[in-house]
Amino acid sequence: MKHILAGLVIAMAALVGTVQADEYPERPIMLMVSYGAGGATDFQARIVTMTAGNEDALGVPIAIINKPGAGGRVGWNWFATEADADGYTLAAYNIPHFIAQSIKGGVEYSKDSFEPIANWGADPAVFIVGTESPFNSMADVIAWAEANPGKLTFSGAGLFVGHHIAALQIEKAAGVTMQYVPTKGGGAAAMKAVIAGDVMAGINNLSDAYRAREAGNVKILAVADIQRNEEFLPDVPTMMEEGLDVDNSSVNFRGIMVPKGTPDAIIEKLAAIVPGMFMNSRVLGKMAAGGSPVHVMNREEVLAMWEERDAYLRELLKDL
Amino acid sequence: MEFLTYFADVFTVPAMLLLVGGTVGGLILGATPGLSPTMAVALLIPFTFQLEAVHGLILLGAAYTSTVAGGAVSAILLKIPGAPANIATTLDGHEMARRGQGARALQLAFLASLVGGLIGVALLIFLTPVLAEWALAFGPSQLFWLAILGVTIIGSLGTSSVVKGLLSGSIGLWLATVGFDDILGVQRFVFHSSLSGGISIVPALIGLFAIPQVIAMFAEGRRRSSIEAISVEKHPLSRAVRELLSKLRAVAIGTVSGSIIGLIPGIGGQIAGLVAYDQARKVSPDREKFGTGHSEGIIAAESANNAMVGPSLVPLLTLSIPGSPTAAVLLGGLLIHGIFPGTDLFDNHPDVAWPFINSMLIGQILMCVFGLYVASLAARVALVPKSVMAPIVLGLAVFGSYSVQHSMGDVYVMAALGTMMYFLERFGFSAAPLVLGLILGPIAESSFIQGSLIAEATVGPFAYFFGGALNILLVAIVVTSVGYSLYAELRSRRAARDAS
Amino acid sequence: MTALQPRLASGIILLVAVWVCWISFSQSPAEAFLFPRLISVAFVALAGWTFLRSLLERRIAEGGVTLDLVKSILPGVLVAGLYIFFAAKWLGFYTSSTIAFLVILSLHDPAPHDQVRTWARRLAITAAYLAVMYLLFSVVLKVFTPRGLFI
Repeated sequence: MKHILAGLVIAMAALVGTVQADEYPERPIMLMVSYGAGGATDFQARIVTMTAGNEDALGVPIAIINKPGAGGRVGWNWFATEADADGYTLAAYNIPHFIAQSIKGGVEYSKDSFEPIANWGADPAVFIVGTESPFNSMADVIAWAEANPGKLTFSGAGLFVGHHIAALQIEKAAGVTMQYVPTKGGGAAAMKAVIAGDVMAGINNLSDAYRAREAGNVKILAVADIQRNEEFLPDVPTMMEEGLDVDNSSVNFRGIMVPKGTPDAIIEKLAAIVPGMFMNSRVLGKMAAGGSPVHVMNREEVLAMWEERDAYLRELLKDL
Repeated sequence: MEFLTYFADVFTVPAMLLLVGGTVGGLILGATPGLSPTMAVALLIPFTFQLEAVHGLILLGAAYTSTVAGGAVSAILLKIPGAPANIATTLDGHEMARRGQGARALQLAFLASLVGGLIGVALLIFLTPVLAEWALAFGPSQLFWLAILGVTIIGSLGTSSVVKGLLSGSIGLWLATVGFDDILGVQRFVFHSSLSGGISIVPALIGLFAIPQVIAMFAEGRRRSSIEAISVEKHPLSRAVRELLSKLRAVAIGTVSGSIIGLIPGIGGQIAGLVAYDQARKVSPDREKFGTGHSEGIIAAESANNAMVGPSLVPLLTLSIPGSPTAAVLLGGLLIHGIFPGTDLFDNHPDVAWPFINSMLIGQILMCVFGLYVASLAARVALVPKSVMAPIVLGLAVFGSYSVQHSMGDVYVMAALGTMMYFLERFGFSAAPLVLGLILGPIAESSFIQGSLIAEATVGPFAYFFGGALNILLVAIVVTSVGYSLYAELRSRRAARDAS
Repeated sequence: MTALQPRLASGIILLVAVWVCWISFSQSPAEAFLFPRLISVAFVALAGWTFLRSLLERRIAEGGVTLDLVKSILPGVLVAGLYIFFAAKWLGFYTSSTIAFLVILSLHDPAPHDQVRTWARRLAITAAYLAVMYLLFSVVLKVFTPRGLFI
């Protein structure tokens, strides 16, 4: 009797599972963003999901829910421990942020707590100074930092986020110590500190820095990526061109993920549909208008990228 | 006077429809507990995807203006401040509404909002370049002193005793440190998983203000409550206008402090109302009437709230720095249309920037008109029996605190803090200073840490935190504020002793 | 109220303050607890001052908690507590809110319990409440409320 019952339960579960994947999604989906409304991640998430209700996409709308705090830790902790793994709760990820935080410890997630669906954007970190600053190249900055160890203040959006990784890489590559000043509340506060002259320099998102330069508020000295950004900043050299051995590890990759334990059929269905949704021409138009670089990757590519970042960051952060 | 030529863009049929829709929608969203202006504007962003740039911004501008004022409705009628901006409004507004003068309180609130709001937007139109310099003058050290200044005014808010006020404030400062430390990411004081996300301000606000009230209504039991005692007063608009004109001092204090504070990136809207309320109380001859349903309290708080709206956009429009969360969302609304704010915004896109600002001027007027209409209906809320009111307020508190972040943890925190506050209030503590501590704690902490890091690399802590005219000025105000509070405490104790 | 009550209340606050202070100074890393240390010292000082004053105070202020008060708030607080901490997740947000509304309304409604008219009125008010909440939070604001056994 017990066996029959157990068999029945398994059969039922299998049945429910397949039914779920076929009919999925049948109600609106929620996408958790672990930064506040108005931040770069929130803004881009709202754009890339705006066509979710279309028939050729998911057919149901995606609603953005913000759970900001502590550089994303609050939201991702919630997502790893409390979110339902039913395919109706998605989250935006930021690489390298959440992987670096999980290596540093004190959080309840790691890269194995989540299943990526697809990547929509890659926003490299750039090195900026105010328009009045005497620094005109990375060489000027490094020379000053060598002459005044620990005295060069530069801002970035928090600890163990992309900006901090870039800062660590620059210091390591140049062999200098500088004073990294983390701000809270994302890139905007770090940008304000540079423009107002609270700090001497800063690391910020390419998209925000591009706009600030258009507005005549900052100079962009270098981009922490392996290639120049031809779309927005063709004239800005990479760190490598400036003689600093800094690769693309700090590039802020943004995409969508689900909690571990979400049924495979649902993950596959999402992974098949979502990249196409990101490539929708209206989405691409709005992203370009806002100066946000698009970089669509499918699930396999994202899984490989997560692995690679995890290994590299463990190496970089092990001395801290 | 260039902006006048762009009024034509606002007085078109689609623009006016959006303005009216945005205003009415904003009032409803603003009056919904738990829905801050930031979230309301964020909710409207998807609609602007479909609109032309200029129309999208008109919608957002109207919604921003009216959600700030709409918060006064729930603050006055239900004593649920929907957002930090409305805390000060509850102090006198709800007292007035309880006496059946809800119409008067709402009329004063909306008229004061109109005056403050128009002046705020006028500052944005005429003084933007000057004000932008000001906004940048506030670095970590100045923000730290400003937060400390906020803490020192805590003492005089709403309690009989300065010491109890400061103690409530330090409880708030402590509660603000619960959860992840914002910069280092270390967990502090987390003894239940509901707390791991920290204590979010809006759920805490709802709990601290609404729940003690619900429990107080429970306490009335099945007694036929004092419905008969309250008579809902009809309050003609002309009387409210006359009353506002007779309290020009409160209007001036509210507008001036609201505009100045609104300008400062990172603090802005959250404390403008409270600071204005406190200042108005300190200079008023009717000091002791504050907190008992005094009109000056409502006028100062609400004129400050809306005066803050215009200047809070100065750093955004000139420097592309969003000075407040709402401004950050508005930045998104500009960016999706490929408009980058900056010094040359008004040269490159005058056809979008000016109609946007003009829509906020018209929006203020529409907000006031619709708000006054709401006032004429809403005053009857005082007639709703306690047996119905208690579960309504409880339900709104639960739904409101849940909807902020879709978090049950927030609801638990809301309920627990509210119950604690009920008992604290029985012993002479009050919610306003506790909430102010909760708001200012993170600002003080992060600017202190950033300032220390910069100081360490440059001039040293003393020169950094005490150097420069603005720092010295702020420190002087802090010292004066503390001195005044101590003097007032001593004086009132001596008076009490003489009386006995 | 008796003079004991404010002493007890401020004593409890002082204990909390001391405990916060102890945690702030004993936990690491020190950088993360720098600010808590600063404020907890102020917290203890103010709580101590209030406690001392409550010991010296002979005149007794209004307020306090009486047995009658506790009795009168207890039913409502219990229902609200069950609703928030237990039923909201177990039964679903809307179901539990409706039940809690009806129960609290009936507990405090002075109308006699044994008349059909009373109950018809209570049910009508509850239905109106449910309709408004659903419209506002589910339809307009698209809030995803927790689902339990029901919605």
